[in-house]
Amino acid sequence: MEAASASVTTADHEHHGPPPANRSSRVEAQTLGMLLFIISEIMVFGAFFTAYFFIRVVKGDHWFPFHGDVLPVAVAGVNTAILLSSSLTMHWAQTSIKHDNRFGLKAGILSTFLLGLTFLFVQVNEYVHVGFSPRDHAQGTIFYGLTGLHGAHVFIGLTLLAMVTVRSFRGHYSSKEHRGVEVPGIYWHFVDAMWIIVYSSVYVL
Amino acid sequence: MAAKLRAPGFYRAGTFTLGGVVFSLALTYLVRMSYGHGRFHHFIAPNAILTVSLIAAPLAFLVGLGAFDYWFYWAAGKPTRPEDHSSHGAHSWRDYFRVNTDHKVIGIQYTVTSFFFLLVGGLMAMLMRAELAQPGSQFVDSNTFNGLFSVHASLLIFLFIIPVFAGLANFVLPLMIGAPDMAFPRLNALSYWLLPIAGLMMIASFFAPGGSFASGWTAYAPLSDTAPIGQVFFTLAVQFAGASSIATALNFLVTIITMRAPGMSFFRMPLLVWANFATSLLVVIATPFIASSQFFILLDRGLGFNFFNAGRGGDVLMYQHVFWFYSHPAVYIMMLPGFGIVSEIIAVKSRKPIFGYRMMAFSLVAIVVLGFTVWAHHMFVSGMQAWIRIPMMITTAIIAVPTGIKIFSWLATLWKGVLHLDTPMLFALGFLTMFTLGGISGVMLAMVPLDIHVSDTYFIVAHIHYVLFGGSLFTIFAGVYYWFPKMTGRMFDERLGRMHFWLTFIFFNLTFAPMHIIGLQGMPRRVADYSSQYAGWNLVISLSSFVLGASILIFVYNIVSSWRGGPRAPANPWRGMTLEWQVSSPPPIFNFDAVPTVVGGPYEYGVPGAVHGIFKGGAEVKPAPAGTVARPARE
Ligand code: HEM
Ligand SMILES: [Cu+2]
Repeated sequence: MEAASASVTTADHEHHGPPPANRSSRVEAQTLGMLLFIISEIMVFGAFFTAYFFIRVVKGDHWFPFHGDVLPVAVAGVNTAILLSSSLTMHWAQTSIKHDNRFGLKAGILSTFLLGLTFLFVQVNEYVHVGFSPRDHAQGTIFYGLTGLHGAHVFIGLTLLAMVTVRSFRGHYSSKEHRGVEVPGIYWHFVDAMWIIVYSSVYVL
Repeated sequence: MAAKLRAPGFYRAGTFTLGGVVFSLALTYLVRMSYGHGRFHHFIAPNAILTVSLIAAPLAFLVGLGAFDYWFYWAAGKPTRPEDHSSHGAHSWRDYFRVNTDHKVIGIQYTVTSFFFLLVGGLMAMLMRAELAQPGSQFVDSNTFNGLFSVHASLLIFLFIIPVFAGLANFVLPLMIGAPDMAFPRLNALSYWLLPIAGLMMIASFFAPGGSFASGWTAYAPLSDTAPIGQVFFTLAVQFAGASSIATALNFLVTIITMRAPGMSFFRMPLLVWANFATSLLVVIATPFIASSQFFILLDRGLGFNFFNAGRGGDVLMYQHVFWFYSHPAVYIMMLPGFGIVSEIIAVKSRKPIFGYRMMAFSLVAIVVLGFTVWAHHMFVSGMQAWIRIPMMITTAIIAVPTGIKIFSWLATLWKGVLHLDTPMLFALGFLTMFTLGGISGVMLAMVPLDIHVSDTYFIVAHIHYVLFGGSLFTIFAGVYYWFPKMTGRMFDERLGRMHFWLTFIFFNLTFAPMHIIGLQGMPRRVADYSSQYAGWNLVISLSSFVLGASILIFVYNIVSSWRGGPRAPANPWRGMTLEWQVSSPPPIFNFDAVPTVVGGPYEYGVPGAVHGIFKGGAEVKPAPAGTVARPARE
């Protein structure tokens, strides 16, 4: 991500760069920024869950299966396992680079990316075969809304991972400089954790 | 020419924007074609192209302008150029039209742009008041009128009050905490450039087929689901403005947490910093809700989702809940930074420490928390579950308590102070009185029976203008006058400033106070025509509003002429203690030669021996006359 402009440390008086900012917190700016962004993201999901809550609880309408429309709980369950395992490989990549293990980083990040891609592929496949559309009923709207929102986040996460993968293979990271893996990693873990909530409320409950 | 098209800037931005439109055309065509004639009669659908263009073209514009260049380098794994600060500082007016990463330049960009939208929105208000001067229909038809009040409110809320506060804070906040810039300068630049896009989109909606969006700034479903295409301009403009807000808020939070000068503990921060800290928390937590509400509308309109289609099980009340869960906190997003500005000014101008500094900080935090518990007070007549009303009434009454604490703290700060009644202070005092009145009508509205009586009447219009105009806008004027010398290096004309204040103050009251009366008598809001029994007051209101509108011209004249040729400002014209006054006016390009050390509170005026910051070389910031630690102005 971007380095705060404080990285230039010319200490002369001709102002070739800003004086380094004082670090008033142990948290890194990039990590903190990502965490705050994730709070925002959680609130977006919160709003979509509000919609879910209003249809399903406040109005008390039927939930799937109804009118012959069923959700493929088992397939999505397998998909859940795929996504969750990608969190493990992400963790592998993160710990590897902390110990300067370049191979572990590359293998970890690549498998994370591929697992994420598989998840997205299965999800799209599910849309094609599920047999109802968001136009049919509010339940369909909520189903597509929540899973689609999450899918969009997987997509964003994959875009970030793609960049990290490229940079990993070019050898841009080391045990000293691994923030670029760390910060997208936090996002990826968030996307995975969010899926558990989406999966359990939409498919299981 | 080819080189111009390749380099970041307006040429490339224009080309890319066109590309965005072509892309939208192609995308909608291909999607519709792939569904075939079974689903669509025509593959070219103007509304679909317009909707997609409104997303794609602005993004392409930003890419063309160069807002993303650095990140593209990063993403492609290319070595990113080290920051050479070529995009830092402004040497001519042209530098304000580039992607600039200097928080001082961005602060000015933000402020000037927001004031532009204030003037546009203000003109719309003048048109509305012309129409409302007499019963019957004179200048605009009712559909245009609906468009006018909708665009007026949306512009002033999303493109003026919210961003202008972010602009002022952008300029002064890093200086106040002893930081050389914001934490993410490039994100900061991007946040700024999202704004003109959002504003122009709202204005452009007037040219949409079927007219501009006309469902108010609240855009309630199902009206907004079915309104003509102009509605989409609102739906998407809010996304751009919201993204800008969130990015800036995140930037402020990270800056405040990680970049304070040594010794500047949280309880030594100026209250403006506290206020923006609280506001930014609200933005980060609440703004995603309005973004989502507009996503729902967009999905309903564009892809046939049924979020608000009751016929298929959708729930329209859900819109109001989601919307107000943002928009009540948003009224504090529009007020807390003003509290910060006023705290600075009142302490400096009465030469006394702020009364109850810690209570001031805690009450900000209390407002942030309580702000999330009152949203349904906007929905007393919406038909929601009746049991929600009483809890919301109680929480709304409670939230007035921290606000009241602040009012009394300011009063206690003024008490026996040596008051300097110049323009910034006059506006601060104007705020204090007018906002108190607005707060009182707010507490009245919290009472369910009264609210049922005056819902959707001019009483609401009176309330929101007392809090937003008499409250927020007065603090904005106060802040602009107060920091004008710092931002531009020039002094404004004090005589014109006072004239501006008195005209604004008097005609503000003549315009909005009578609205309480006609509201209680039952005149509905958001209508182009009304029964003749309200004619008298409406004429008074319209005439006063024209003077009120004209009074801003004095402000504009004062600012423009002083900026161009006003007397040079000393570093510290108000003898303030906070750090931004200890550097030259305007500040040097990187703010500080060396980061100062903070050793005491920011408001110890009149306290013997008090020191706020120590600069390199031992210059101390004491409550002392101007010039002690000033540096020579940079030319
Ligand atoms: C003591 C503090 C306040 C209280 C108790 C309060 C209470 C209320 C209530 C109950 C309403 C709903 C009226 C209705 O629609 O029937 C309302 C409306 C409104 N308030 Fe406040 N308010 C307070 C402060 C503020 C502040 C500080 C702002 C903004 C700076 C603000 C802006 C608004 C706006 C814009 C509306 C109208 C929303 C619409 O378009 O329907 N209020 N207020
Ligand atoms: Cu409210």
